[in-house]
Amino acid sequence: MTAHALLFTLAAIGLSETAYLIRKRKASQKPLCFIGENCAAVLSSRHNKTFVLMHNDVAGFLFYVGISIITAFLVIGVPPASFWLLLAKIGIFAGVALSCFFIFLQWKVVRAWCFWCLMSSFTIFAMALIILIKNLIV
Amino acid sequence: MKKDASYHILRIAVGITFVWIGILIFQSPEAWGGFVEPWVENLLPLPLKDIMLATAAVDVVIGFFLLVDVYVWIFGFLGALHLATVLITSGITAVTVRDIGLLGGLIAITLVSWKTKAR
Repeated sequence: MTAHALLFTLAAIGLSETAYLIRKRKASQKPLCFIGENCAAVLSSRHNKTFVLMHNDVAGFLFYVGISIITAFLVIGVPPASFWLLLAKIGIFAGVALSCFFIFLQWKVVRAWCFWCLMSSFTIFAMALIILIKNLIV
Repeated sequence: MKKDASYHILRIAVGITFVWIGILIFQSPEAWGGFVEPWVENLLPLPLKDIMLATAAVDVVIGFFLLVDVYVWIFGFLGALHLATVLITSGITAVTVRDIGLLGGLIAITLVSWKTKAR
């Protein structure tokens, strides 16, 4: 239960953060940038649409909504639990791989850092860590 | 009133609490129904379990809107009303006393977001 609560909390934080980025983008406003000065450079770069159909912030939002729902299903006991666990594992570790790719893009390609992108990456790393430590995936 | 970082921290924390409580009520509605005072149970038009499931859905919806920062002035207000109802119908016990803190937080969120009503 504790691991599920932590996973859910992280997913909810990610959900709020990506909702903020979506709103800023829709309003054509620059988001607050706590690290460096080039959040906008990253968010408006040509790499802001890794998935052809949607912006990264929308993809992130859907990811966090998905993890929240899966966690809720696990807590409520919606069957089959093994399927939801597997889905969570695949989703989070795919998220880790993608986060590493985004960090590489910021570091070597765009050459600018985006606070919100890094926060999202560390949120996903923390999720993976929880899964590994608590051995949620049996 | 200006929406600063403290407002957003409070909004997200209360949002997480609401959604999580909603999930826990979905998990065991009968157990959470145990907090309802007997005099309230007699007044209910539906079985207590159904009322608790509806409460869980309301909690999840309020929490979601707080998390995504959309129509916070409406959902903060609804959340405050909801918590006031919870305090009345369950009484103030060692467990529910924490709702007083949540109620205060929701009133603060509603007051700040009321000034910028449009989303």
